[in-house]
Amino acid sequence: MARVLWAPFLAALVAVFVLLSSPVTYAEVPNAVPPKGEHNGKDVPQPIEFPHDIHAKINEINCMYCHTYARRSKVAGIPPTSKCMGCHSVIATDKPRIQKLTEYWEKRESPPWKKVHDVPDYVHFTHEKHLKRFVFDNEGMEVERVSEVCAFCHGEVKNMTVANKVKPLNMGFCVRCHEANDGPSDCWKCHK
Amino acid sequence: MSLKNILENWSQYRRGHEQGGHHEYEHMWGMAIDLNKCIGCNACSVACYAENNLAIVGKHRYSKSQAMHWMRIERYWDEPELEKAGLVTKGKTIETGASFLPMLCQQCNAATCEPVCPVAATYHTPDGLNAQVYNRCIGSRYCSNNCPYRLRYFNFWSYYEDSWPEPLHMQLNPDLSVRDKGVMEKCTFCVQRIRVAKDEAKMADRKVIDGEFQTSCQQSCPTDAIVFGDMLDPQSRVTKLWKTHQVELGKSKQSKQNPDKRGYRVLEGLNTDPCIMYLERVREV
Amino acid sequence: MSGNQINRRDFLKIMGWSGAGVALAGCDRPTTVTLHEGKEEVVSYLMPEEYVIPGVGVYYATTCQQCPAGCGIHGRVREGRVLKAEGNPDSPVNYGKLCQMGQAGVQGHYNPDRMTKPHIRKGGNLVEASWDEAMALLKQKVGPDSGLAGDRFAWFTGQVSGHQAVLVNALMDSLGSERHYVHEVVNNAVTRAVNKDMLGVATPRYRIDEAKAILSFGADFLGAGQSPVHYATEYATFRTGDRGVLMVAEPKMSLTGANADLWMAVRPGTEGVLALGIANELVIRHKRKIDNLPAEVRDLITHYDLDTTAQITGVAGDRIVKATQWLHSRTPSLVLAGQSAENQAHGYQIAAATMLLNMVLGNVGRTIVPGTELPFPQLAAKQGGTADLRAFAKAVEQGAYDAVFFYNTNPAYTAPSYMKLAEKLQSKVGFKVVLTQFPDETAKQIADLVLPLHSPFEDWGTHVAASSYDEAVISMQQPLMEPLYPTTRGFGDIVLDVLKMRDSDNYGQYADYYAYLSQAFGALSADWQKTLQTGLLKVEGQAQRINAKAVKVSLPDYKQNAEFPYHLVPSARLGLWDGRHANIPWLQEAPDQISKVVWDSWAEMHPATADKLGVSTGDYITVTSDQGTIETQVYVFNGIHPDVVAVPMGQGHEEYGRYAKGRGVNPLKLISPKHDAKTGELALYGTRVKVAKAGRSEALVRMGGPGRNEAQLGRKLVATVTADVYRRTEGANDVA
Repeated sequence: MARVLWAPFLAALVAVFVLLSSPVTYAEVPNAVPPKGEHNGKDVPQPIEFPHDIHAKINEINCMYCHTYARRSKVAGIPPTSKCMGCHSVIATDKPRIQKLTEYWEKRESPPWKKVHDVPDYVHFTHEKHLKRFVFDNEGMEVERVSEVCAFCHGEVKNMTVANKVKPLNMGFCVRCHEANDGPSDCWKCHK
Repeated sequence: MSLKNILENWSQYRRGHEQGGHHEYEHMWGMAIDLNKCIGCNACSVACYAENNLAIVGKHRYSKSQAMHWMRIERYWDEPELEKAGLVTKGKTIETGASFLPMLCQQCNAATCEPVCPVAATYHTPDGLNAQVYNRCIGSRYCSNNCPYRLRYFNFWSYYEDSWPEPLHMQLNPDLSVRDKGVMEKCTFCVQRIRVAKDEAKMADRKVIDGEFQTSCQQSCPTDAIVFGDMLDPQSRVTKLWKTHQVELGKSKQSKQNPDKRGYRVLEGLNTDPCIMYLERVREV
Repeated sequence: MSGNQINRRDFLKIMGWSGAGVALAGCDRPTTVTLHEGKEEVVSYLMPEEYVIPGVGVYYATTCQQCPAGCGIHGRVREGRVLKAEGNPDSPVNYGKLCQMGQAGVQGHYNPDRMTKPHIRKGGNLVEASWDEAMALLKQKVGPDSGLAGDRFAWFTGQVSGHQAVLVNALMDSLGSERHYVHEVVNNAVTRAVNKDMLGVATPRYRIDEAKAILSFGADFLGAGQSPVHYATEYATFRTGDRGVLMVAEPKMSLTGANADLWMAVRPGTEGVLALGIANELVIRHKRKIDNLPAEVRDLITHYDLDTTAQITGVAGDRIVKATQWLHSRTPSLVLAGQSAENQAHGYQIAAATMLLNMVLGNVGRTIVPGTELPFPQLAAKQGGTADLRAFAKAVEQGAYDAVFFYNTNPAYTAPSYMKLAEKLQSKVGFKVVLTQFPDETAKQIADLVLPLHSPFEDWGTHVAASSYDEAVISMQQPLMEPLYPTTRGFGDIVLDVLKMRDSDNYGQYADYYAYLSQAFGALSADWQKTLQTGLLKVEGQAQRINAKAVKVSLPDYKQNAEFPYHLVPSARLGLWDGRHANIPWLQEAPDQISKVVWDSWAEMHPATADKLGVSTGDYITVTSDQGTIETQVYVFNGIHPDVVAVPMGQGHEEYGRYAKGRGVNPLKLISPKHDAKTGELALYGTRVKVAKAGRSEALVRMGGPGRNEAQLGRKLVATVTADVYRRTEGANDVA
């Protein structure tokens, strides 16, 4: 009996120990220490209430399918409207949000999206190099799980509709991550 | 990053050449400017305005020496060496033309501006560059007072307010900041281009190739008087030029095997160890 | 550029670029704190091509329109905006290099003082109008029912070439007109005329890179010349290896003069004497044979012995001897004549004398060689001068025209005041259409209809360089971005619309100028997409043929003028050029290469002259010709003849936007009514003036400030070695 009672306790103890000592078990991205810090972002009304959750969570679309520039440029980019229409000229065309999108498309205009994640002008941040470090050159990391790396700085966007800023994206946030992951600490790497 | 961190870790790239120490540079960007080819046309200077978001200050502020010309063409009328040798006379009319000198931050390895900065806004990078971090700068102006070349420019006003009336602001280069009042600025060797080249090289898992990018001044120069590159790359054009003209980094006086070789560094006797070598202008006499 | 089917024009339209109102991150005002979310908008593309990546610059090839040289450029475009112009390395004009004016093209494009809407003059005032109104007015005045007789219509333009020139001609044909006046203040019209007579071709190829010695009579080939970037690249070759010697004889030091090994201050108008004096020295001292020249020319040369030459020209004898020595010992050499020599009342004779010197030196065929011409003469550059300005002013006075179209020129600013051109145009020409990008003097003061043009970075076109190079090319001009303003239009589109009114049979088929151009390229069996990508269509050129033939020259005696003792030199500068760049802030703030003055006019003066007048740098003086007076500040320096006062062109605008208007003075207004008899070109450098102290003084605003940056004070800033040392140590093995 006593053994039976002890087993779950030991298991719990081991779990706690593992959690404390090895970040790998709770940070699912290998060879990476996720940055720490929270930000209580306010809601940003967008011209179309884009549901990230439907795309990234329910339909499991890879972040980089739409934000395709992230691996090729310093900016991830808002996908071109043509990309949206690639699917939505046939999918869910009866939904009001899609009808609104179609209106923009037919007017030959892009929706005036509001920027949610931004850094000051004197900061040079490049998506492609961060993806190279944490995804493409990262042994044991699958491209399919890229959203976990995106989440370092953007939070669990796949659980949101329109994106909300949940990380502070200030210098302390960046520098702590650079220190933990052995990133460069030369000022001119990031300041321009 | 704390000031302590900067002083302890990044001053290692600063070379007071009397000291030994740790100098594991990633690159050592350097330049050679051939005054035999320079015609003083000003293309480099305007190219610099275009690339680096340099503000226009207008006539009144220009008269107060507030011009922001990171790359400026100085023009002299005298030729001390030739006059001393009695080879030219500068009398009532000029016998020869002018002497042009493109002047930009010399990216000194033992820069006089760096140690006086109270907040480490200017420091030496692992690329051998003399960096100016705008958001760190508090505008004490100690650095410009200490620069023997007078190549640092201070934003006494919010020049951007007048400099780019709409839609001129749409020309601004998004690869670098627009500086505001209270900040010191100077030539960066087009660090935004260096950064892109390094990023591209890194993405392709290779080294930066000599000549794959140019500084803005170099690119515009009609006579190819400006050569820029990495002096740690033994095959780069700039390295070869320095070697040919027998100028070495880390010296306050060059010991040339052939004293007729034209390389020299401006005011190098001040022990600033600049990364720009000039090639002497040539005159037929 | 990419393989897909979207063509370049549509691509621009679907960029999702919606004009100047869009906030663009990172290109705006400085932000110094972490931005709050939702503050800025982010523009996404509507449907970009594969190679367009946000955050990465894309380069499009086009042609620089800042001066007539026609350099190829690559425009850096990011997020739908053009950010910077770089040289196109494939262009035989500029080999990837670009001068300050070319760099500043983006500030012309984004200029805050663009003309953005059509304007119609009503009751003396220009009133904003719609394009419908503008085109209706055009139809009424020049349409088929206007009753406009062909010979009552004229074009007045700056240099045009390529298919724009074809359209200009087509419009004249459709009207039955034959008058197209081409006006450029900075020109080499006299040299072209001399070349035509003495070589058989107007624009041979000058091999500055092949010459071992160059003697320039006011030819500012490094500065305000015909192709400054091209000749600067050749100059770099000239100065390496066996390093050539550069000698310059001119009344006021130009940028080329500032690079000379030997600079000679010559009395204006006596350059021809100096050329023949040097020829004489070559014969007497160096035993050069001139048997191939006609007897009368040989005879003339003997008139100018050393003393006579020195006395007339004001150049010291020892300098003439030195120059002759270098020309003799260093072959091949090259003698060039430029504006200060040829824009005199006997400019043709002077330029011919310099060509005679080339013949004495045996340079024809060695450094003056046949160039390559485009096999399509209809696309060739229509080069301008000031003879057409004179002819136009005269015709206008006689009431010859009812309708005139102005394009790429600003005669209300550049015409000397004696012509009273603006007044005459107002009273004698019923309908003046000005096609322009900017509210310049011609638009504001004389136009009845102003049509706002796209900037060169928004428009289509083709260009053919006027000078000859190694290869014959048609240089493309294509939009780098969507037009900034929805109410500007392309030059070709407007002309095509007028053509459609008159000749719809031939031109009705073209939807716009783009359609016209792409079809024209099809006719050349050229690969349109590839041409757009490289920016250049290289074609098999036709070699010119040179037949040297000496002509007799006659040089008048130099005359003093007691009332107006000084010569006015209205010098052109690489920068503001003939005044067309005075509205570009970068070029206003870029110091003059010689005086280092910014944002204003100045008068250059020799120290001896300044002493005589009792003035020093910064003092105001009045400069008076028989046509008027200007007042400006003095810059005293040695690089000028004591009998000369030089006031650079470019400033003194009455209109032309915030950066130009009301700044400095315009020396062109002082020009006296004199011209070269042979070519009809204005004697721009032949005006005599008197100078007086104005009695006030102010610091002259220039780089380095008063008294500084003139002398090295013994510091080793610009070190110098002699050419002998250079040739010994580097010789032909220059590593740079």
